[in-house]
Amino acid sequence: MPFAAEKQDMANQIAKSNIRRRQPGRSAQPAHLKFGGQSTDYSMVFIVLFLVTFGLVMLYSTSSYEAGIEFGDAAHYLKKQLFATALGLGGMLFMSRVPYLVWEKLAWGIYIASVILVLMIIPFGTSANGAKRWIYFGPVSVQPAEFSKLAVIIVTAMLITRCGPQGLRYLKNCGLVLLPAVIQAIMIYFITRNLSSAIIILAIAGGMLFVAARDYWRFFALFGLIAVAAVGAVALALETSVSDSNFRFKRILVWMDPAKYADDTGFQTLQALYGIGSGGLFGKGLGQSMQKLGYIPEAQNDMIFSIICEELGLFGAVSIILLFAILTWRLRDIAMQAADLYGSLLVTGVMTHIAVQVILNIAVVTNAIPNTGVTLPFFSYGGTSVLFLLAEIGLVINVSRTRLVMSKPADRRRQENRSGNRRSHAKGSQSRA
Amino acid sequence: MKRKLRTLFVILTILFAALAGRLLSINRTNGEEYKKQVLSQQAYDSREIPFKRGTITDAKGTVLATSELVYNVILDSWQVNSGTKSDGTNPYLEPTLQAAAELGLDRETIAGYIKDHPDSRYYIAKKNLSYVDKTAYEDKLAAPAKKVGNIREQLKAEQEKPKAEQDEAKITQIQAQLDAANREKENMDLVTGIWFEPAYIRSYPNGTELSNVLGFANNSNVGMTGLEEYYNSTLNGTPGREYGYLNDESNLERTTIEATDGNNLVLTIDFNIQSIIEKYLKKFNDEQADKVREGYGANNVGCIIQDIHNGDILGMASYPNYDLSDPYDLSRIVGMPVLDDKDNPTDEYMTQEDVDALTTNEQKSRYLNALWRNFCISTYFEPGSVAKPFTLAAGLESGKMTGDETYYCGGSLEVGGWEIKCHNTDGDGVLTVDQAIERSCNVALMQMAQQIGVEDFAKFQRIFSFGLKTNIDLAGEARTDSMIIPADKMSVSDLATNSFGQNFDVTMIEMITAFSSLINGGNNYQPHVVSKITSPSGATIRNIQPRLVKKTVSESTSAKIREATLAVVAGANGTGHSARPAGYMIGGKTGTAETYPRGNGEYVVSFMGYAPADDPQIAIYVVIDRINDSPQDQTGKATALTREILTEVLPYLNIYMTEPLTEAEEEELQKLNLANTYAYNADNIGEAPVELIKNLDSDGDGVMDSVDGDGDGSADLEMDADADGVMDCVDTNGDGIPDLFDTDNDGVVDSKEPPEDVVDPTILPKTWTQYERDPVTGYFINPTTGLLIDPETGYTYSDSTMGEDNAGATVIEDNAGATTPDTALEEAGTAGAGTAVNTEAVPADAGGGNDSGAAAAEAAANDAAAGEAAADETAEGGQAAEPAGSQTVQDKETQTQQPGSGPVEAQPVTAWDGTAAQ
Repeated sequence: MPFAAEKQDMANQIAKSNIRRRQPGRSAQPAHLKFGGQSTDYSMVFIVLFLVTFGLVMLYSTSSYEAGIEFGDAAHYLKKQLFATALGLGGMLFMSRVPYLVWEKLAWGIYIASVILVLMIIPFGTSANGAKRWIYFGPVSVQPAEFSKLAVIIVTAMLITRCGPQGLRYLKNCGLVLLPAVIQAIMIYFITRNLSSAIIILAIAGGMLFVAARDYWRFFALFGLIAVAAVGAVALALETSVSDSNFRFKRILVWMDPAKYADDTGFQTLQALYGIGSGGLFGKGLGQSMQKLGYIPEAQNDMIFSIICEELGLFGAVSIILLFAILTWRLRDIAMQAADLYGSLLVTGVMTHIAVQVILNIAVVTNAIPNTGVTLPFFSYGGTSVLFLLAEIGLVINVSRTRLVMSKPADRRRQENRSGNRRSHAKGSQSRA
Repeated sequence: MKRKLRTLFVILTILFAALAGRLLSINRTNGEEYKKQVLSQQAYDSREIPFKRGTITDAKGTVLATSELVYNVILDSWQVNSGTKSDGTNPYLEPTLQAAAELGLDRETIAGYIKDHPDSRYYIAKKNLSYVDKTAYEDKLAAPAKKVGNIREQLKAEQEKPKAEQDEAKITQIQAQLDAANREKENMDLVTGIWFEPAYIRSYPNGTELSNVLGFANNSNVGMTGLEEYYNSTLNGTPGREYGYLNDESNLERTTIEATDGNNLVLTIDFNIQSIIEKYLKKFNDEQADKVREGYGANNVGCIIQDIHNGDILGMASYPNYDLSDPYDLSRIVGMPVLDDKDNPTDEYMTQEDVDALTTNEQKSRYLNALWRNFCISTYFEPGSVAKPFTLAAGLESGKMTGDETYYCGGSLEVGGWEIKCHNTDGDGVLTVDQAIERSCNVALMQMAQQIGVEDFAKFQRIFSFGLKTNIDLAGEARTDSMIIPADKMSVSDLATNSFGQNFDVTMIEMITAFSSLINGGNNYQPHVVSKITSPSGATIRNIQPRLVKKTVSESTSAKIREATLAVVAGANGTGHSARPAGYMIGGKTGTAETYPRGNGEYVVSFMGYAPADDPQIAIYVVIDRINDSPQDQTGKATALTREILTEVLPYLNIYMTEPLTEAEEEELQKLNLANTYAYNADNIGEAPVELIKNLDSDGDGVMDSVDGDGDGSADLEMDADADGVMDCVDTNGDGIPDLFDTDNDGVVDSKEPPEDVVDPTILPKTWTQYERDPVTGYFINPTTGLLIDPETGYTYSDSTMGEDNAGATVIEDNAGATTPDTALEEAGTAGAGTAVNTEAVPADAGGGNDSGAAAAEAAANDAAAGEAAADETAEGGQAAEPAGSQTVQDKETQTQQPGSGPVEAQPVTAWDGTAAQ
């Protein structure tokens, strides 16, 4: 049984401090968590709903041309995405109602379910564009990798909580905490050949670990190591001749000089750049993209940001980046104000997930990094993605509405009175941290 | 923990900012370039619309080459596969395959293609589907829908009847029919992914006919050889395009630019004449093929018929020919001579095995090019005796001969140390000029050439355009400039052999064009085969008018040539009797030329003539190159071929017969179904148009030789109103003023009023006739240069050419401005004993004596008097020692003894059948 020592340590601490949960900066008073103790963070909800709606509009603008040709219905992709979004909003409401502590208890179950789902790809998966990534349940296709991300957030948060910040001082514990994420990432990479999802899963776990741990140097060392590995990979790719290099190496070569491979793999990247460059300051106007007319294949997927740049210009693109930055900021605040470590880590995980995916996507579209298939959250076409993203947002809402309640009923009333001025309370708690 | 969260947030924010910066930098550095890139790659599925290459028709509108609209069947398997349902079935597949089978496509192939190439959008399943087949297919597709409509109406009619009359059973039956038809229609509606793309294919409805002249166009509308090559850009149009583009509001708009079709050609060639020629060339080939050796009837046979009055080619054919619909058919190469390294023919002939052994494309194309070559314009050869009239014409025109000389032929002549034999080695005896031509006497001709001299002979070869391209509007005319010997290199033996057509090379078209000018009064017209270019809608874009290139000889010389060549066919000892078609009289000259190297028994035989004799309309030239027979020098084969062709062509041209028919001839005509229509009938003369030139026979020799402009039965005087050398007006009452005019120079008087641009010649004579006359010669003197000018032709002689001995030969009447040579050539006969060496002579107008205008003086009785005028008798008398022999004229006309290293050897190697210089 892992974490035996830590569990003992935790039990001791609980006994000592007489609190059930550890919450950074909370006074050591007997307390319990109560859902609905705080009002929802509406600014975050608003931003998410805005992004979802904006995403649907852009998705329609981007996909209508191709959908019209291929399916005879310009709204083909929009309808499917609308269905998934509706489902996702339901999921968000559901998740925001279920006390997040439940997930801590169900963490292993959820994790194992996600592992099984990924494994099911091997016999039942449907391939598209040369990779098996989807499983069909009747008419509904599901991308198990999206579920894996949520599962890794839940299980990693649980493990870090069990281990505790002190326990993370030990490298072995860090490894153990990261283990489920690493296993999941390896499975996804080898089963679905989806490097980007594997990277995102590792980034989520790494981000949570970084936040939970108290030191920096190990992470800087790790970053350094990753950077060296990346430079090494690029150097190796340049050494290898084009003909016998595998497709990962080739992507690096394409990244270095997309124009050289314009007829081949560089086509998509180059066309995306054309889209970005031709937009100008305010773009050609909504729906006026030329690049979506067959030049950027499946523009509604990974390359949707390029079309946004073309249609809405630099202004629209920076606005979207800003929206995501604000969302990240809101998520950071919620993480800071979470009632306990587990809740805080859940939100950190969601924040890392969304931010990393946005950054990777835009970096790919602008050819800042080699091409790898990452979707833009809330914008790119993909039912599973939007479903689980909204579920994660539901989770965050739940965390944001949960507060720490003192054991005494009298205290509870006082707490409730104070909740009217949540902001000052938050500030107060911050100052004490 | 909070600190770490802030750190993470800061890191993420920095990354966000960096990406925003990256966007900015892309826009700043590459924005403009990418903007252009995006616009430039908007090439919306543009589609080329094919144009129609122009049609080629003959003079009467018969289509010779045209482009037909056909359709390519395009299969879009992606569209077919788009019907695939999740269970793998495809409702489109079966009906589509059925439809494909309907179009004559192989069901299995199409099914396999759809399966193997599921995303293919464009596959040409079948090419060149005819419009009829396409319409039939479309009707079949639409038939069920029609059927449904009909049955519906029937049902409606039945249902609208009053209740009592309705027949339940019938309605049910119709209902059942309707259901069946509906099912059928639904099935047809499922046909998908098959569409038609228009295209044009070149089609030649007449197969081999006119193949060497027309040439052919390949699939990409590039003409190969012949007319198709020469007029390639005229025949081709501009392809159209259908394309989409983005308008100001970035909406896709479709635009179609229609194709512009090519222009059409109308030929001077009459397909009926052409067919007659081709029929007899083929007949000749069938008779001669495989006779001595396996292979064609001759290396080449060619025939050209030309309108002598304007240079129009009426028919042009050569054999072997090829099928224009299948020009790459190698089987036609069998029987052709094997080519050497320089593509010249050898004495070996291609067998089927040889053809099978042709493996490389290069080898094949060498032989195909030889097959496609138009013999009539691309091959040069030594003309042989058909050149003799030109030698005579040069002699007359240069003034070195009078036409009244006599020559003695002893069977051979020693020239430059070599003895050159006549074809009749026993000698022809004493011959007049006409007899020399009639019998084709080499010795007499050599003597004429000696009389003419190297300078003038070479000059007149130039005037006759030997060695010059005729610029006929056909691709592939050969250059022969190096095949003619220039004056400074011409030795005496060259001169001698050139006089009877050996040692210089010409093409058929050069020869017939020059001959036409000899016959028509000296007008050399540029030959052409296209008379008109019309637009796709039929409007005339360009009329190609006859183009007069130069004057070669005077009318009087022309008349003499007509007379001499007439004797070849009509004369007692003529070599060309067998060329005369039944019911007609023609003039002409036979030719037999030994090919190079000499002495191996290979010959080119030919006949060149004009018809009809009384009013020449057409010239014909038939050449048989190395006949498949033994011996090869059977000139009779060429005359027989000429006769066969003319027998049909002349009646077709509505030329009236002038000669009585023998019973055998009548039978022959009857067989050809020509007899009744055009048989000679004296009554026909009255119906014939009033001819300007020679429609009276003044001396009763059966040849029309004088003019009767007003039809009163007495001869009238011909005059040349516009001083162009062509007689175009008649003085009917002898007052010296013309009163009937030929306004269009076609030889027929058609107006009483002179054409507007013509000044009365009696008032304004030719410019040079205003000069002072030389009292001795009667020639005009150019006051500035002091040179003498021929009063008849206007030709300016250099000092040296006017010999002193001719002084006084002509008496001049100054006041009238007319030449009346009443004592012509008294001294002519006094020259050397055996040979009449008449170096310089004023062109004889023996029978003149009238007092009309200067230009007219030369004319009318020129022919009538020839041979009979008193002047001639003196000449004959000079040769009286030798009796005018009645030796049989042998077919073999040319027997050139050639020393191995003689002067002749210095000539360029005679590249018989050599590659066209173009």
